[in-house]
Amino acid sequence: MSAITRTTNRIISYLTLVVIAIVGLSPIVYLFLLSTKRRIDIGDVPPSLKFEWAVIFENYKEVLISRSYISSTLNTIFITSIVVALSLVIGLPAAYVFSRVKFGRSEQLSTTILSLRFMPPVAVAIPILLSMRFLHVSNTRIGLVIPYVAFSLPLVIWILIGFFDEIPKEIDEAAEIDGASKWRTLLQVQIPLIRSGIVVAGIFAAIFIWNEFLIGMYVIDSEALKTVPIADAGLISAQRPIDWNVAATVGVVTLVPLLFVSMAIQKHIVQGITAGAVK
Amino acid sequence: MASQIKYESFISRHETKTLIGPALIYLGLFSIFPLLYSLAISFYEFDRVAGKWNFLGLGNYREILTDPVFWSSTRITALMVGAALFIEIIFGVGLAIFFGQKLKGSRFVRAILITPMILNPVVVGLMWRALLNPQWGLFNWLIGLIGIDNPPIWLADPKWTIWTLIFVDAWQWTPFIFVVVFARYQALPIDVFESARVDGASPLKLIRYITLPLLSSAIVFAAIFRGIDSFRNFDLIYGLTFGGPGRATTTLSFYSFENGFVYYRYGFSSALSYIMVLLATIGFTVLLKWIPIRRSH
Repeated sequence: MSAITRTTNRIISYLTLVVIAIVGLSPIVYLFLLSTKRRIDIGDVPPSLKFEWAVIFENYKEVLISRSYISSTLNTIFITSIVVALSLVIGLPAAYVFSRVKFGRSEQLSTTILSLRFMPPVAVAIPILLSMRFLHVSNTRIGLVIPYVAFSLPLVIWILIGFFDEIPKEIDEAAEIDGASKWRTLLQVQIPLIRSGIVVAGIFAAIFIWNEFLIGMYVIDSEALKTVPIADAGLISAQRPIDWNVAATVGVVTLVPLLFVSMAIQKHIVQGITAGAVK
Repeated sequence: MASQIKYESFISRHETKTLIGPALIYLGLFSIFPLLYSLAISFYEFDRVAGKWNFLGLGNYREILTDPVFWSSTRITALMVGAALFIEIIFGVGLAIFFGQKLKGSRFVRAILITPMILNPVVVGLMWRALLNPQWGLFNWLIGLIGIDNPPIWLADPKWTIWTLIFVDAWQWTPFIFVVVFARYQALPIDVFESARVDGASPLKLIRYITLPLLSSAIVFAAIFRGIDSFRNFDLIYGLTFGGPGRATTTLSFYSFENGFVYYRYGFSSALSYIMVLLATIGFTVLLKWIPIRRSH
């Protein structure tokens, strides 16, 4: 290869890299831009890059205060914490067993659990609504937490099995010789070793909740109990016309928490996808 | 003290059961039971006015099979899953090989690429509705710059909307195929490539005869996972097209949602979604046949 073709190849490669970055990022940047405009300025093409703080303040005040997205966000964080904690408490021991103990139908059981991850949510939305009504918890936070844990568990268990599989079995055997029970081995030996797996599984449960609105729309009626995605689904569905600057601001307010999380823990997200999909 | 000893010995005697029991009971109650409940509902009709359930037997299923919208949504679902998957595999694998070059700055771009996957689908729909707006959307302005002056109305022309949906799905989910395939790519032994290169294989031959075969199991895997997820997909449609215009983007999942949530036809909706469960189960069984999901110990 001559020096010239090598340089051209490099240039083409870097141009491709830039194009990939633009295709990935520009829709999100555009949304940010729209959220800084007056309603009447939305029609400017291309949008101007002049920012007026008063307009930005107005848009975000409308969404955060008048449309009470601050309280929806806090509510979502609250529900996410409970669901993540419960899914881990229930899922960790189960994943540990699936990784370590072979019993009669363990293989079949773990595949059944994985298959639940593929269940179409529309197939269970109505029975979940009816069950939550039966338990007198429809339109309450508990009524959301119960099904959300059920949706997170298969994901959490599956990701954790992958991480447990990577810890050498000798560690368990050593603990066993010292007379530790499985519970003790799990709590005192394994959990410290599997911390990053716990983080990854927790993140995926959280991402699920920040994007889920189907079950939520069925179960929750009062505005005060809606999570951010449920509130979004009511406000900005394709069926409903809305002021674009406000809608874009709603979009930004929805995306920002997860964007921050994803920047901070990019590596974990990749681990989760590969652990959940490939192992 | 005595009770504590008793308690501990109970736990140690039934260790496996106490470890795994809570998860199985929970999933049984709140995952499997709703699924069976849904099957039961699919044999009934919910009379909203009287608040009563009337038994129909196979009535809902019979109605579905003669419902033209069911058949059109089956076709649209198949087209969407097939076309989106095709595009996502081509670009996802392409990206994985491209990022294998390890250019400077590619780490940063990879971080950007991961982002679309975690975004709320309703907001993704909103974002692209803005970009594709016929009056002021940035997309039409951009393609105007390269001389395309009379673009179709992407989200209102029934001929184009399904392709717009597929395009946005590809924007959001090509990174998934990329991440899975790239993880495998990074684990490939470098010396295989080196020796092939020493033997004088051209870059294209290298990809065709060495890289792709080595990546094939990861590709099939990612494709089946993505395929089933795309089959269940309803939230992006909710955010982008709401099934329209007309029925142009009504998939099975969306049709079932619409019947349940908008028209309160709980029985009909459940029967529809049960047909989906059956199809997904078939898909999943094929997946299991194809590749062992867990590495054997």
